[in-house]
Amino acid sequence: MPDSLVQFEGVTRRFGDLVAVDNASLDIRAGEVLAILGENGAGKSTLMKMLYGLYPASAGEILIHDAPDKINGPADAMRAGIGMVFQHFSLLPALSVRDNLLLSWPRTPFWKSRRNTDTADVLATLAELAPHIDPDCPVGSLSVGEQQLVELCKVLNIDARLVILDEPTSVLTPDEAERLHGFIKQLAGRGVAVALITHKLADVEACADRIVVMRRGRVVDIAERGARSITETVALMMGQSVERKLQRPPVLEKIVPRLVLENLSARRPEMALQNVSLSIAAGEIVGVAGVAGNGQALLAEVVAGVEPLTGGDVLLDGVSIARHNPYDAVATPLGYIPEQPRDNGVVGTMTLARNLALRELAQGNRPPVTGRDLLFRFNVNPPDPMKTAGTLSGGNIQKLVSARELGGQRQAVLACYPTMGLDLAAIEMVYAAMFAQAAAGAAVLWISEDLDDLLAGCHRIAVMREGQLVALLDNSSTLTREVVGAHMIGLTETEAAA
Amino acid sequence: MSTELIAILASWGIATLRSATPLIFATLGETLVQRVGIINLGTEGEMLLGACVGFAVGVATGNPWLGLTAGALAGATLSLLHAGLVLGAGANQIGSGLAVWMIALGATSYVGRTLVGQQVTPLPALGTDWTDGIPIIGEVLSQMTLAAPLALLAVIFAAWWLNQTRPGLHWKAVGESALVAAENGIRPTRVRVTAIMVGGLLAGFGGAILSVDYTQTWAQEMTKGRGLVAVGLVIVARWKPALVLPVCLLFGLTEVATLRLQSAGFELSPHLLGTAPYLVVLAVLVASHIFARRASAMPADLKAVFQ
Repeated sequence: MPDSLVQFEGVTRRFGDLVAVDNASLDIRAGEVLAILGENGAGKSTLMKMLYGLYPASAGEILIHDAPDKINGPADAMRAGIGMVFQHFSLLPALSVRDNLLLSWPRTPFWKSRRNTDTADVLATLAELAPHIDPDCPVGSLSVGEQQLVELCKVLNIDARLVILDEPTSVLTPDEAERLHGFIKQLAGRGVAVALITHKLADVEACADRIVVMRRGRVVDIAERGARSITETVALMMGQSVERKLQRPPVLEKIVPRLVLENLSARRPEMALQNVSLSIAAGEIVGVAGVAGNGQALLAEVVAGVEPLTGGDVLLDGVSIARHNPYDAVATPLGYIPEQPRDNGVVGTMTLARNLALRELAQGNRPPVTGRDLLFRFNVNPPDPMKTAGTLSGGNIQKLVSARELGGQRQAVLACYPTMGLDLAAIEMVYAAMFAQAAAGAAVLWISEDLDDLLAGCHRIAVMREGQLVALLDNSSTLTREVVGAHMIGLTETEAAA
Repeated sequence: MSTELIAILASWGIATLRSATPLIFATLGETLVQRVGIINLGTEGEMLLGACVGFAVGVATGNPWLGLTAGALAGATLSLLHAGLVLGAGANQIGSGLAVWMIALGATSYVGRTLVGQQVTPLPALGTDWTDGIPIIGEVLSQMTLAAPLALLAVIFAAWWLNQTRPGLHWKAVGESALVAAENGIRPTRVRVTAIMVGGLLAGFGGAILSVDYTQTWAQEMTKGRGLVAVGLVIVARWKPALVLPVCLLFGLTEVATLRLQSAGFELSPHLLGTAPYLVVLAVLVASHIFARRASAMPADLKAVFQ
């Protein structure tokens, strides 16, 4: 039995009412690669951020070998030899690679010139890990994958004995990911423990020695490499179905295409949409499933006319509603519930009444006097139209945006994670409003991570992976979450069945 | 090349250098301040106070070096007000800078009344009996004081400080992102206060050189916007200390040219002619933006001031 470096004993972390990590116990051993696998929001990042000192535990204990003092912040963690590489890097893009490394290096001398031989060691890890990166070029000119390697060098430069990597391959090309896998194994070989937070089975397959599966804040399984089949692991990740009282949508009597995506292409620095085609009929609900970060956000913003497209078109009843170049101004006719509505869907400094009337205000019309009825109907708390939106909680902002977008009849609805942060009653209320739109003839495009809900409420389910629609499945009674899940992570159906 | 032409060039060169020296100090100081993510419009006020205090102390003690030192310290002290307002009270940087400027303008106009028409002992010229015999070089040295060489040294030192030392790296990091700097164990507020004070010190020194060395007189509002020009020249110099020198020299050269054109009887309104240095610098700014299309060199945290 190898020595354990870190031990979690019954660790719990709450954020308000939300239990992000629930009574988790596990250990991390020197020289092993421990994969922490789970869907988004399963609590894996929170668990590791507690170890790194970013959040204190609400209950339970984290014991670190040879470090008797409590970890109160990242500085303590670093002193205890724990380093973490985040999804969002803490690099300064304007400074050179070398300067960025010198900045966090504890041994940087006063005279930091290249001619000072005392600075040579700062580049040693970089030379080993990524010899192709020129230390004198600014970090901003590197690719995201290269930046991640620089960030990793920063952590290794503090002589870490435990390195935590938060979704490291989500920003990498397949080649870069492969190189990283090799490097992770090499690190473990040197006796460094690596905690790898991921939702990709490919990462686990490539380099994990032990696999911890988390779901809804709990550690549901800890197994040695090879002890579980892929299917078992996927089932553990996704868990049992939750019962929701959702009415299955009525079967469509006739197919009249309403919202049509034609060969959509668009790109952002980190993501590209390629030839997405989808036709949604009046009254039809089409769900979009996929692991987070596979282009759903970009798809939504292109359909809503926020991001310009580079090819194809979005048609509503035959009329283009997309933004064809960055200078177009498009007021979307869709009922649009964006992702992160606090940032994308409300004006925090305006009252609830004015937020409900943003479209009227944008057109220069007088807004309706009050929206009290809507606030009550969508259960926004407090239902005071004169309150400023910024003071509401996240869930109430979500309800406020639903009230505006679903309160009146729309030709089509685009909903991105419309139940994020809502309690059970509110979730059912939002779904009921969305399904009522469809029943009255709207075409509904619904992006969600909750497969059970999609299976319960959709006519068809489209699966997105790496910016493409990889499957379009009829939601018959034989469609299961395992089949959809297999498409999400890129297994063929035969592999999934195995 | 004829000796005469060289003599003319040397005379223009010295005039340019002398005219640019106060501006080099002020612009260099403001460059350092902006590199840590702070904008200080109070540079104008700090120059003015430095000019006033420096002249007064120079007159009172008869020692120009004491005057220059006092001017520099006055500028640094005034800059602490900006630091306190911005970093302590969280005031708007533009508003705070304007307040510092206005306070200095009022105070120096009031205090400086008694200084008008006074005589100050000038800095000694660099020339000695020994160099006077050398053609041209002797001439040049006899017209120069230590102020200009000091300005060159200051530029070199600042460039070395920012680019070759650990504290300089910390300054740059704070200017790019105070948050990331703090994550790396740097104290952004301490760095910013220090940089603002160094900026005030240099601006005050530049102002004192203006009154004690360059004009050797005191007049109300004598900096005539040089401090504000310095804030603008920082952008033209793309926030790089090394570029402060050529940019300020260009400004000084245009100023000298307009003065000489006027005295040569050039028939254009002196007011219009007086705008020439600003127009030239504006042209350089536009040109540099067109030719250097790559990402702006502006420190990232400085952008937040304007958002």
